[in-house]
Amino acid sequence: MNDTVRQFRDFFVSLKLTVVLLVLSMGLVFAATLDQVNLGVWAVQAKYFHSFFVLWKIPGTDVPLPVYPGGYLLGGFLLVNLVSAHIYRFKRSWRKSGILLVHTGLMLLLVGEFLTGILQEEYQMALNEGQTKNYSESYRFNELVILDTTDPKFDDVVAVPEALLTTGSALQHPKLPFRVVTKEYYPNATLSLRRGATGENPSLATAGIGPQITATPQPLTYKQDERNWPVVFVELLGPEGTLGTWLLSPQLPAPQTFDYGGHSWRLALRAERAYKPFSLTLLKFTHDVYLGTDIPKNYSSRLRLTTPDGKDDREVLVYMNNPLRYAGLTFYQASFDPSNDHNTILQVVRNPGWLLPYLSCVMMTLGLVVQFGIHLLGFINKRRAVPATPA
Amino acid sequence: MRRVPILLLLVSVTLLSACRQAKVTSYRAPKETPDPLPPGLATASTNAASAPRPGTPAPPAPGSDMASTAVPTAEGSDLAWTAPAGWKPKAPGAMRKGSFTVPGPEGDADLSITAFPGDVGGELANLNRWRGQIQLAPLASGDLTTATTRLQQNGLSFVLVDFVSLSATKPARIVGAMVPVNGATWFFKLMGPDPTVSAAKPTFLTFLQTVRAPAAP
Repeated sequence: MNDTVRQFRDFFVSLKLTVVLLVLSMGLVFAATLDQVNLGVWAVQAKYFHSFFVLWKIPGTDVPLPVYPGGYLLGGFLLVNLVSAHIYRFKRSWRKSGILLVHTGLMLLLVGEFLTGILQEEYQMALNEGQTKNYSESYRFNELVILDTTDPKFDDVVAVPEALLTTGSALQHPKLPFRVVTKEYYPNATLSLRRGATGENPSLATAGIGPQITATPQPLTYKQDERNWPVVFVELLGPEGTLGTWLLSPQLPAPQTFDYGGHSWRLALRAERAYKPFSLTLLKFTHDVYLGTDIPKNYSSRLRLTTPDGKDDREVLVYMNNPLRYAGLTFYQASFDPSNDHNTILQVVRNPGWLLPYLSCVMMTLGLVVQFGIHLLGFINKRRAVPATPA
Repeated sequence: MRRVPILLLLVSVTLLSACRQAKVTSYRAPKETPDPLPPGLATASTNAASAPRPGTPAPPAPGSDMASTAVPTAEGSDLAWTAPAGWKPKAPGAMRKGSFTVPGPEGDADLSITAFPGDVGGELANLNRWRGQIQLAPLASGDLTTATTRLQQNGLSFVLVDFVSLSATKPARIVGAMVPVNGATWFFKLMGPDPTVSAAKPTFLTFLQTVRAPAAP
């Protein structure tokens, strides 16, 4: 073993590292808990736990500085530390089989959390009775979509995640005969109609509905029951020059359309979509409340699941604690629109690592039982071995 | 020198953290007819595919009730009205002109007052949009006369409708009125459980009598 490898091994096997990592983890959880007041649960998860470093932007700039190890880094190092300790430090014996089980369960928990963090997708699918959808929508992320709607059978979609829509950014996509330039982006804004009053700033928008609307930037909200409504002004630039600047917002109830280059186009800023290779139709939504209250007693959705190839065409019932699991996705009965009794909202989750936490809990419980059992047996045997003293 | 490998490891992890980036995607999606509201607003639109076609089913509203979604409101001075005491005012949101909760025997109904420039696609498109919200089949243009009641009061021309969907376990009803004012169209929509809306209908009609046009400048 050369020096470099030994240095790595000593670093990772060290018990000091374990202690440092645990202390840092406590600090991370503490800071994240305090910051939840400012950022809300989603942003805190992303900033502190689903990251390698906690980043801090230098005031007045967009330059992020890593200021503290994030959840992935601490969890990853803890995992490597634990595995290394088992390889190089711990002695394997039957008497410590319980500890081995507990540690293996812990490793699985760390791996499971990492997989959940990077692979889990959480969307929602809102359906009215009779409506069919083959996509779910994000409730936190939006996307700019430019659809070529010329073909009567399908739409060609170019989707740009909201994260790329920073002011001044430009995009040239091979499927688009024009460049898309973000002239202004507000992460949260309210819309109101222009009154035509004197002194009103002219709109950046020159096409579509935008010239009639004023967008007023608002501070970002992190409350769980509120959402941010972004607004973006995008200019489309063809070889001949500008085609116009559009104001786009998920608050606008309909996409905006235009014709260019013999094609029909549609523009919108909408909730990010995830398309599925199957469709769900809401046949019936049932919603009962406890008598005299608005508290939901139970609510359920009878759905029809169909695949384009006809292999699947069946009815399914989704209700509280009875999700539909299909094609690696889980559909939970999540909510409904209080103003519309014929509407259901399903939470759509993809989590390939969903079994690991259960497995790890079972292993850790078993490990603790085994370890305590071994000690208990040893203790009992020791007591039996003591000769009875004569009366 | 002893710490160089460890530092290298930390640097590589830092770089790894920058690997998760949002990407532009492109794909082919099945044809989708967008919600017809409000075609009149898309002034630059020349795409016939997105315009509502009389006689075609109105696509159901998406998960959040589109009629409740904040939308651009009309220009010009606002209408004025006096709301009944039993209606609970709500925050109108960014684009509603007025918003009330109307309590009733089978749950609350929602009264929304919105306004849009132009005719917002015409009477038929708007009525079919409302019908779609309570899972009713769209009307054909020939049905307009029988489905609407026209009312003149306070110098305003109201188009009144009353739609009820009895097919569901909890029947839903919309009693609504449209009125053109100064090149814009105003919508007064009472929507909710059938018993509540039915009970509130006389109050709603009385309420409409209080709606007044802006005073001439």
